[in-house]
Amino acid sequence: MERKDKLGILILDDEPIVVRRLKPALEKMGYEVETFTRSADALARIEEKDFDIVITDLKMEGVDGMTFLTKVKERSPRTEVIVITGFATMNTTKESFQKGVFDFLAKPFKIAEIQEAVKRAEEKIRRS
Amino acid sequence: MAVSSSLRNTLSGWIKGGRRPPAPPGERLAELFALFQQILKFNNQVLDKIADMGTKLGGSYIFDRHYIETACQELSEMVYHMINDLNAMTHNRYMALYDAFLAINHDIQEELAGRVVIPHSDYVIPYQALSADFVEVVGGKNANLAEVKNLVGLATPDGFAVTTSAYQDWLEHEGLKDEIAVELFHWHRREIDEQEAAQRIAQLLERAPLPPRLERAIRRATERLVKHLPPEKRFLALRSSAVGEDGEHSFAGQFTSLVNLPAEKVLEGYRKVVASLFSAPGLVYRRDKGFADQEVSMAVGCQLMVDARASGVMYTLDPRDLKREVMLISSVWGLGGAMVGGEVMADQYQVERRPPYRCLGIDIVRKPERLACAPGGGTRMAPVPDKLQTASCLNVDQVRRLAEAGLALEKHFKHPQDVEWSLDGQGRLVILQARPLNVRAGMASMVPDISKVLDDYPIIFHHVGSVAQGGVGSGKVFVVRNEDDLERFPDQAVLVTRQSSPRLAKVMRRAAAVLTDLGSPTGHMATIAREYRVPAIVGTGLATELLKTGMEVTVDARQNVVYAGIVKELRYFEFSEESFEETYEYRLLRRVLRKISPLNLIDASSPEFQPASCSTFHDITRFVHEKAVQYLIQGDFRRHADAAKARKRLKCEVPISLVLIDIGDGLRPDALGREVDPQQLRSIPMRAFVQGLVQPGLWSTDSVPVDFSSFMSSLTRTFSFSVASPKHLGQNLAVISKHYTNITLRLGYHFTMIDAYITEETNDNHAYFRFLGGVTDIMRRSRRAALLERILDRNDFRVEVRGDLVVARIKKLSRRQMEARMRLLGYLVAFTRQLDVKLVNDKEVVRAVDEFLRLQETIEKRLEKQA
Repeated sequence: MERKDKLGILILDDEPIVVRRLKPALEKMGYEVETFTRSADALARIEEKDFDIVITDLKMEGVDGMTFLTKVKERSPRTEVIVITGFATMNTTKESFQKGVFDFLAKPFKIAEIQEAVKRAEEKIRRS
Repeated sequence: MAVSSSLRNTLSGWIKGGRRPPAPPGERLAELFALFQQILKFNNQVLDKIADMGTKLGGSYIFDRHYIETACQELSEMVYHMINDLNAMTHNRYMALYDAFLAINHDIQEELAGRVVIPHSDYVIPYQALSADFVEVVGGKNANLAEVKNLVGLATPDGFAVTTSAYQDWLEHEGLKDEIAVELFHWHRREIDEQEAAQRIAQLLERAPLPPRLERAIRRATERLVKHLPPEKRFLALRSSAVGEDGEHSFAGQFTSLVNLPAEKVLEGYRKVVASLFSAPGLVYRRDKGFADQEVSMAVGCQLMVDARASGVMYTLDPRDLKREVMLISSVWGLGGAMVGGEVMADQYQVERRPPYRCLGIDIVRKPERLACAPGGGTRMAPVPDKLQTASCLNVDQVRRLAEAGLALEKHFKHPQDVEWSLDGQGRLVILQARPLNVRAGMASMVPDISKVLDDYPIIFHHVGSVAQGGVGSGKVFVVRNEDDLERFPDQAVLVTRQSSPRLAKVMRRAAAVLTDLGSPTGHMATIAREYRVPAIVGTGLATELLKTGMEVTVDARQNVVYAGIVKELRYFEFSEESFEETYEYRLLRRVLRKISPLNLIDASSPEFQPASCSTFHDITRFVHEKAVQYLIQGDFRRHADAAKARKRLKCEVPISLVLIDIGDGLRPDALGREVDPQQLRSIPMRAFVQGLVQPGLWSTDSVPVDFSSFMSSLTRTFSFSVASPKHLGQNLAVISKHYTNITLRLGYHFTMIDAYITEETNDNHAYFRFLGGVTDIMRRSRRAALLERILDRNDFRVEVRGDLVVARIKKLSRRQMEARMRLLGYLVAFTRQLDVKLVNDKEVVRAVDEFLRLQETIEKRLEKQA
């Protein structure tokens, strides 16, 4: 299979276990993955680089996920955002989709589920 | 957490302040039954949640602490509600359950708060009772050795761990901690150097008395360990097993181990090992790394001395040149201490990492001396006889056994290993220590871009079935079709089989990976795979079709892909990651589950069946369920006049004792006596069920011969042995109305629950069937589950199997079709009453299914003719 450039993924979750386990699972699929557990650091990073896909938790210390993903979308509208959260409510789900997120996964989720979501996001990016 | 502590406060308030839970609601029967139904509902939800939490250990989910906290919270609330409901039903007869609940909930909250809960009496824990879950209280060295023994199945020295809580309590005893703090303060202020500080602290520790209870615990454990040995063999090895923020490995070499210590000097030895925590290099290291002193704590391993003929070290991957992919074994005559310390030269073997484990390089050196056990204790250098001096310490067979052991360890710990080993006097291989080889950084360089590498390997199949246990395993396929195949199963082969049967347990830990056509990730086999951490994908539907014995494959049970060939890069990639099983969250979930899922209260007729004996949420759930059923069956309803009238016994020609409670129009008006004839049943679901239940040909009245192993199994579970005797068939209850039936059956030791609602309105109709438990061993129980699954599936039920729990649902069929399903459940109950005793192998399952379906057809035809 021929590959174009690797897609870049940023993962932000304040639970280290989540980013530690997501990183290798996505690297294995051929993505370049950067992970953050503090939203301030992630915010600084998106000022420097546009990521193809951003995976973020919603509820965190400091800047919350909703603010973060809003900033991401402002800076780089073509970035696809996947929200992962352990506090899924109708409202947060609705708000996320209104902000244009690509997908919304409730924690805990299967590794295969997020890989599937990322793959669909990639297809969308490659098509456009 | 916040909610839970408020819950706890409320509860404590009740108990301490004498406030009682709300008085029972109205005495009307319908309300009593509503409570009962609610208990049933919570009972099912609790069991489902427990199973669900168990599956999270398999590695295919990403979860965090928040999940563990929420899941515990939900469980705790459901269990608490069940206790309330039971007390509301029974006029507060089981208040003691609140105490049991509080104690369990407290332990869970402690675990969630990061405090490992071990029973306080456990200053010492024998290796056979240990696992990696205890790493915080026994240290990495002890925990790993216990896993080697209990899960990998290799020989290790017998012994026990002295926990960190022993250490903590000693420091708290008689102000020792403060005295140490004073010395450390002087050192930090540079008033004394680290040598001086270490020496002063060592003196303190030498003089400070141990807490008497600790002293007794260590003495007793040591006596138990050596009492069967002749006096000349009562020697120990004491090994440090420190616990720190950073894992113990960064501390390697800083602490003392004592070899060949006379058993009677165990307390002295314990002090010495603990004192080494405050050695000069240790103090400096921790200061430089920024560890606070209270962050490190010392557990000690106390083991029987292995008087070794030869000893050595094995690296399962030669760290000097990872890309050569060989194992490196060094060995010397006698004990290994001198070699590890670099005092004597060792033979070296470079060994291939796959069968037949050929030696690619052997370097035999002259070994004029060996480290030996000195009579009376300690060690000494001793001469090696001339002819052995230039002989190899290991023969080809021993090299192979070592290599196999090394790869088994590597597979279990998911990382290349640094192994200390000995050959004892009988030539038996004993593992003294296993720890991860520090090559994680190097591993990453071996697989520069895993996704590109993977493109080169053909995929045989992917994304079919479910991952039961994550991980990567590769090797030759071995298809198991029957018992004989199982006997021939080669070490480290990939086990491929049609059905996931618990029978596979005996070869499972020798398997590189497991693939099955059928089965679910919540089944027994999945549980066993998780216990032994064998990568497993179940329910693929096509593994036996596509894979043939002898093919080389790689199973990636993280991504759910099976590749043709040995994808060693994938294994190395996995070595470069932190394994899921090493994460705090994994261990935390396992630890809280220990307070949740084991079932200790099994026999309701035992005197142990008491609220005070409930030590897990599962126990409480079981207790509440049992007592709720019992209350409806035989409770004195005191003020429930209408309830007492509603309770009848079903007259029945088959050996089943069934109590009926009519909550509305379930019986004909002429059913006035205490006994009810089946013709007097008006309840639509119940009529159909009883019709099925009493059909001739299904109840085998002859007692089933019970073979020895199931007999033993029932004995060990302290059941009275009475499977075949109708008078011990237990109490059964049916709550009925015109359209509704709820049946709780306890036939032998099986639990069955049926809940059905049948009207003319097709869309409202439903039936629910739930089956659990049994007297025989776990294999037969799950065979019975397989049998039920097939029969129910053939009859259009939607079936879920979790271990030996079978849940089947069906809905929205016409009244006539629903009645047929209720008859079927009647046949099934009769047919399976003692069936598991007969299910001696998987073939019997197929035969029994056929037999049943034939019977069903015959009976249905007969009934049709009668109608």
